[in-house]
Amino acid sequence: MHVKRYFPYMILLAAPALILLMAALSILYGVKEIDMMTIRNAIFQFDPTNVDHQIIMSSRLPRAMGTMLIGCALAVSGALMQGITRNYLASPGIMGISDGSILAVTLSMILLPEASDLQRIIFSFAGSALGAGIVFGLGSILPNGLSPVRLAILGTIIGTFLSSFASALAIYFQISQDIGFWYHARLHQLQPEQVRLAIPFVIVGMLAALRIARSVTVLSLGEEVAVSLGQRTTVVKVLAAAAVMLLTGSAVALAGKIAFVGLIIPHIVRFLVGADYKWVIPCSGVLGAIFLALSDIVSRFLNYPFETPVGVITSLIGVPFFLYLARKKGGNKYA
Amino acid sequence: MLRYSQERFVGIMLTALGLIVAAIYISLSYGVFDLTFAEVVKTLFSQGNGEYDVLIYQFRLPRIVIAGLVGAGLGVAGAVLQGVSRNGLADPGILGINAGAGLAIVVFMFFYQGKLAGSDWFSILAMPFFGLIGGLAASILVYLLSWKNGRLDSQRFLLTGIALGSGFAALSLYITLKMDPTDFHTATVWSVGSLFHANWQYSISILPWFLFLLPIIFWKAHILDLFQLEESSVKSLGVSVGREQVILLLCSTGLVSACVSVSGSIGFVGLIVPHLAKSLTGIRHQQMIPLCAMLGMLLVIVADFIAKNIFAPAEVATGTIISLIGVPYFIYLLFRSKA
Repeated sequence: MHVKRYFPYMILLAAPALILLMAALSILYGVKEIDMMTIRNAIFQFDPTNVDHQIIMSSRLPRAMGTMLIGCALAVSGALMQGITRNYLASPGIMGISDGSILAVTLSMILLPEASDLQRIIFSFAGSALGAGIVFGLGSILPNGLSPVRLAILGTIIGTFLSSFASALAIYFQISQDIGFWYHARLHQLQPEQVRLAIPFVIVGMLAALRIARSVTVLSLGEEVAVSLGQRTTVVKVLAAAAVMLLTGSAVALAGKIAFVGLIIPHIVRFLVGADYKWVIPCSGVLGAIFLALSDIVSRFLNYPFETPVGVITSLIGVPFFLYLARKKGGNKYA
Repeated sequence: MLRYSQERFVGIMLTALGLIVAAIYISLSYGVFDLTFAEVVKTLFSQGNGEYDVLIYQFRLPRIVIAGLVGAGLGVAGAVLQGVSRNGLADPGILGINAGAGLAIVVFMFFYQGKLAGSDWFSILAMPFFGLIGGLAASILVYLLSWKNGRLDSQRFLLTGIALGSGFAALSLYITLKMDPTDFHTATVWSVGSLFHANWQYSISILPWFLFLLPIIFWKAHILDLFQLEESSVKSLGVSVGREQVILLLCSTGLVSACVSVSGSIGFVGLIVPHLAKSLTGIRHQQMIPLCAMLGMLLVIVADFIAKNIFAPAEVATGTIISLIGVPYFIYLLFRSKA
C-alpha cells in the first residue's frame, strides 16, 4: 500500500514521454518504411508534393492519435462503469453499448448514406445511449440485475440482439461488407477529419469523468455509504452515464467495436494505484491509450504485410484476463 | 397422479405435433408463389411428376426439414446444458459452443474457398464434422476451466463460456476478413443463423448425429433429474456425477455443432425452449426433453417461415427472428427467476 501511493504520480509523470514514444513507434512502423528524418520533416516542414509526407500526415499521424484517443476513451468509460455499478465485469464491450452504437451507425448508413462524419458520430452516441439504456435500465429493475453474472448475461444477450439486428439490416441492404470492415476495428481507416471531430467529445467526456471521480470513489463503496455521506447519487450516476456515452460513442464512431480494453485496463490500474478513482480515472486513460497503441502496432505485424483488426489482438489478451477474473472472483459470493 | 400426468403429457405432445404439421403445411403452401391445398398434397404424393416438384422438393421441403432438425437439436441441447449446469440461463450460444463450432467451420470454409457451393460429398459431410471438433474443443475448455474444488461451478461455467465465446468470435472474424468477398458474404450470412442454403445434402449430413446422440440423451434423461439435487445426495445414490456430466455434455455439444454447421449460430432456441417445456410438463426430464425437441422444431419452423416471408423477396436471417421473439421472453424469465 505504501509504494502504491507513488504509482499514480509515476504513471502520470511518465505519461507524456510514453505517449510520445508510442506515437513515434506507431508512425515509424508500417508497410512502407519511412525514416525518422522524413517524419520530422513531415511534421515540421510539410511538403505536399512528397508522398512520404502525405502518408505520414494523412494516414499515420491520425492513426496514432486516433488509436490513443480510442484507448483512452474506452478505458476511462470502463473505469467509470465498474466504479458506479460495483461490477467487476462492467465494460463498454460487454454491456451492449458498442452494439447499440453499431446498430445506430448501420441505420445511419442505410437512411442517410451521404451523412457527414459529425452526423455519423452523433448517431453513434445515440446508439451507445440506447444500448447502455436498455442494459442498465433492465439491470436496475431486475431482481439483483446489476450483479456481475446477471449483468454480463444481460449485456451479452442485448448485445447479440442489437448486433444481429444490425447485421440483418446490413444483409438486407447489401452493405454487410462495408459495415463489416467499418465496425470491426480497422484503425488504419481512421480519417484525419473524424479524429479531429472526436477530440472535443472525448475531452468533454474526460473532464466530466475527472470531475465526478471523487464521487465515484464514494459510490464504489456502496449506495448506502454514498447516501449517508450526503451524496446526490442520482446526479453522479447521470453524469457518469453521460460521460460513458460520450467516450464510448466517440470510440465506436471512430473504429467500431474494440473489446476488452475497457474491461481489463481499469483492473490493472486498480491493482497498481488502488481504488481511489481520483487516480484510477486518469491512469486508466493513460494506460488505455498506451495499451491500444501497442496492440495496434502488433496488429500490423501479425500477418505482415496485411493488417489484422486490432480487436483480434485485444481479444487474445483480454480473454485470458477475463478467465482469470472469472476464476478469481466468479464464485457465488460475488454473483 | 402419475397416470394423469402421463395423459397430460401425451396430450401436450399431440398438440405440439398438430401445430408442427400445421406449420409445415403453411410453410409449404405459402410463399412468393402460393399453392393450394390440393396442389401441395398432389405434389407430395405424386412421386416427382407434378408441376410444383422443384418448388416443393428442392426449395421449401429441405428448408423445413433442416429447420425442424436444428430446432429439435438446439432445444434438446439447451435442456441438457441447463440440467448439467443447474443454471436456467445456460444456452449453447452463451456457453461459447456455437462460437467454437463456428470458428472450426470458418476455418474449414477458408481452406475450401470457392468450393463451398460444390455439391461434392466430402465437403458437405466434413462441415458438421469440423463443427463437431470445434464445438467439442470449446465445451471441453469451458468445462475444464470452470472446474472448482472438484465440481462444476455453475456461475463460472457461464462466465467462462461468455469469455471464450468472444475469443472464438474474434478469431472467426480474423479469418473471415481474409476471405474473398463471395466467401465473406456466405460466411456472414451463415454466421447470423440462416437457413437460406438449406438442401437435402445438409439434412443428410447432420442426420447421423441426431440418430446417434438423441437416443443416448433420452436414455440418460432421468439422470438430469438427479442433478437437480444436492451433489452429495446424488453421489450417495451411486451416480458418478463427473462421468455422467461429461457424457451428457458431449452429446449436447455434438448436437449443437451439427446444427451450427448447417444453420450457423441460431441463438435463444436452447435458452427459451426448455423453459417453455418445463412450464408445460414440469421438471421431469424424461418428459421434458422430448417436448423440447417438439417445441424447438415448432419454433424454428415458424421463425424460418417469418424470416422468409415478412420482407419478401429479400430475406431476414432466421436467427434474427428468433432473437426478436427470444429476447423479450428471456427478459421475462429473468424477472420471474429469483435473484
